[in-house]
Amino acid sequence: MGAIFNLNHPAHTVDWHFIHLSVANVVVIGLMLVVFVLAILLPFPHAARRDAARRGGGAS
Amino acid sequence: MSAAPTTPPKTPSKSWTVKVREKGVEALPPERLLPDGQPTYVASWIYVFGVASIASLIVIIGSGCILALKGPAWWHYTGVGHFFNSIHMWSVELFFFVMVVHLWGNYWMAAWRGGRGRVWVTGAIIFLVAVPAALTGYVSQQNFDAQWISTQAKDAMNSVGVGSFFNLTNFGQMYSFHILLLPIAVVALVSVHVLLVRRNGVVPPFELEKKLAAAPAASRRADGPPQASTGAQT
Repeated sequence: MGAIFNLNHPAHTVDWHFIHLSVANVVVIGLMLVVFVLAILLPFPHAARRDAARRGGGAS
Repeated sequence: MSAAPTTPPKTPSKSWTVKVREKGVEALPPERLLPDGQPTYVASWIYVFGVASIASLIVIIGSGCILALKGPAWWHYTGVGHFFNSIHMWSVELFFFVMVVHLWGNYWMAAWRGGRGRVWVTGAIIFLVAVPAALTGYVSQQNFDAQWISTQAKDAMNSVGVGSFFNLTNFGQMYSFHILLLPIAVVALVSVHVLLVRRNGVVPPFELEKKLAAAPAASRRADGPPQASTGAQT
């Protein structure tokens, strides 16, 4: 059975001035940026309920 | 003849164990070491990546122990060996992925605020030590890939003048670095990092810190870490 991705060739690279990166590394860096932005923007489960409990006098 | 009951000495103990215990409890009381909860501001995805780094580190060490027990022939020539080899490699990828997001999050929230400089510095050192811990794994694979990488890396070490300390083509030396010295360093540094987080509390958001600074000092708990001064625990 063949591999899902054909890796039997030199790596594809991104070249821009002095920057020389493999496409695989560019994809990982892009994913890290996406995850970072999502981690800031996406609401955390039950965060609003916790905040409401605190405002309602639930402080310890 | 009955012996009189002895009373404990009133003077402070000179024992080093007592001194270490007292210093330890003073620096990190049990309720701060293992708190009941975390402040409400910790309920955010950006605060998840530190513990995600630890979780992936546990998988790395667990799969690495199995690989070390079974040896190169097993991880190269058996299906289960390939599986654990892949688990080990991908958990390292995940470790660096979440560690970098953790680093970005803490950089942009200036996590060294409020006397947390040592937390930040230990985190930076963990990153710097984890890189060679991972790279020595590439030259410990016992295959042609490792052979190629080690000869290339040997030239890199020589070019920066440290070739007499590290011989990348010496499998025994690289394997010792990879499975013993560097993992011990990473785990020790992570332990110190986590204890410092427990001691100083998780860094609050900027806006909360401004509110805390504006609040009267009497309303803050003097005995707790900065996180306790928010009053709210989740």
